[in-house]
Amino acid sequence: MNIKTSFFLALTSIKRGNKGTLIMTILIMTLAYVNLVFISSVFGGIVEAINTQSIDNQYGNIVIEPAVDERYIDNSEAMKLITTIPGVIGSAAHYLDNTIIKYDERHDGKDIKSGRWLLKSISPLDEKKVTKIHESIIEGSFLETADKNKILIGKEVAGGHGGNLDHLSLGVSIGDEIDVYFSNDIKRSYIVKGIFSTKSTAVDQMVFVTKKEMESVLNIHNSASEILVNIENTGNESEYIEEIRQLGFKNEDIKKWSDLMGFTSSASASFTMISIILGVIGTIVAGITIFIIIFVSVVNKRRQIGILKAIGMTESTIILYFVMQALFYGVIGIILGASLILFVIRPYFISNPLDFPVGWVSLKVTFNIIRISNLSLMAAALIGGFFPAYRGAKESILKSIWG
Amino acid sequence: MIIEVKDLKKTYEGKVPTYALKNINFEVKKGEFIALMGRSGSGKSTLLHQLGLLDIPTSGEVIMDGTNLMLFTEKQKSEFRLKKLGYVFQSYALLPELTALESVYLPLMLLGVAKKDYIKKASEMLRKVGLGDRLHHLPKEMSGGEQQRVAIARALVNNPLILFADEPTANLDSESSMVILKLFRELNKKIGQTIIMVTHEPDDKKYVDRVIWLKDGVIKD
Repeated sequence: MNIKTSFFLALTSIKRGNKGTLIMTILIMTLAYVNLVFISSVFGGIVEAINTQSIDNQYGNIVIEPAVDERYIDNSEAMKLITTIPGVIGSAAHYLDNTIIKYDERHDGKDIKSGRWLLKSISPLDEKKVTKIHESIIEGSFLETADKNKILIGKEVAGGHGGNLDHLSLGVSIGDEIDVYFSNDIKRSYIVKGIFSTKSTAVDQMVFVTKKEMESVLNIHNSASEILVNIENTGNESEYIEEIRQLGFKNEDIKKWSDLMGFTSSASASFTMISIILGVIGTIVAGITIFIIIFVSVVNKRRQIGILKAIGMTESTIILYFVMQALFYGVIGIILGASLILFVIRPYFISNPLDFPVGWVSLKVTFNIIRISNLSLMAAALIGGFFPAYRGAKESILKSIWG
Repeated sequence: MIIEVKDLKKTYEGKVPTYALKNINFEVKKGEFIALMGRSGSGKSTLLHQLGLLDIPTSGEVIMDGTNLMLFTEKQKSEFRLKKLGYVFQSYALLPELTALESVYLPLMLLGVAKKDYIKKASEMLRKVGLGDRLHHLPKEMSGGEQQRVAIARALVNNPLILFADEPTANLDSESSMVILKLFRELNKKIGQTIIMVTHEPDDKKYVDRVIWLKDGVIKD
């Protein structure tokens, strides 16, 4: 095999060949590459939005739940120590209760709207370090530590804010009074202080009161139904779980956010699978495109191949000559495609994210996506270029020259 | 003897086999200029293809410079064609994307000659065939006669043992044909180049040392 001669012929062919064909081929390869990266990045963005939504509004990074057969976490000393672990941003202890909430708009006992919703108690300052519900207030304001008869409700409970379950909502606004019936048969009335919208239907069906208020209802202190923990580096949850356990949470159930995602986890997995399938299809299409381009080139240069063989060029040098052309198209496609993605498409989607039900979705262009797309397109170019070149080079000299 | 052909046969299989060459025997001395002549379908081009390793004979032997070519693998044949043989085809057979200079130095590049040397040698060869002023011209920028002279320069640049020419003047006007044939004669006389040329023009006899006449796949006495 004479690499130098293959390179010389490939370069000459590209430089002096038909410019229109060259531009079209490079355009096709560029678009094939953009397609590979774009599809993976959009789905990556959706999965990230789902994950971010879950971490920011529902679970934090780590969730500590009571031991089996226990209703509450009672280890108040250990609870205080969680935030002393380096890398822990904050922890938020919640009491949970399934409540019935009623709203009597005209105060006449008629047309009372009601429903069953999950009520959580929060310490507003701690909560702000763990979840981002305080950033999702669409009406009114977030709770303060001293609030006693105030309640924060999700848009699916309030109604009138374009929720998915508007027909089940109470139809309340800021300042309205609602009655909450706790599971221990205590009833309390609260003024709606704020309404939030998080893009997570599950979270938007929750209501919040302060920890002090909840402790007075449940008549317990310094316990929790769950503790959410927020850490600096998402992905390192396992290490932190070990450290949290060593604080004294021996029997409590400690889970990562990803273990609790349920249906959203399977949705993420489905999106990842769809992304892989579309990526494989995109790679095959790119490979077939290169195959056709090189096949047409080989057919058009059939006579030249015969001449090259006649003057003593080996079959492997001829194959390499065409494969190098295919690889050139692949490399230029990658360079132009990556430039288009990184300098045009990605900045555009960062400025104009897509409004998905799971959150604002931007392109998640990772090094891994770029690396896999590069390898896929080069493999497609190599295989797509090799087979027609091999077929052309194997033909007999006389058949190549005279048909 | 530079070529010894013994009992060479070429049969194209099919429902009715075609016996293109039947028991061909002849010898060629070094420095001879031979014309293979005969009517269309006589087997002259087929014989040239077997001698030039462009096709595989059905049986027989071709011994060139003491080497039995029938024992070669495909790779050995490629190497032999590159180092020892030169070809000039009827229809120029130049690569449209290569200039005259590039076409001529291509075999030297394949042989691994240094860039400086192959450019020098190819330029000299083009000057010898009268194309010193056309080095950087593409085939489409040259006449048929000039293209054929580029093909001759390419065939000779690696100092081949034998130059094979398959109807090299068939596509040329009479003036260009004369230039090519005179060039062959000159090369033959000056550097002792062995040439085997297929032609159907009776007038070409005057340029060659010997004519081998073929009829229906056999050599006529």
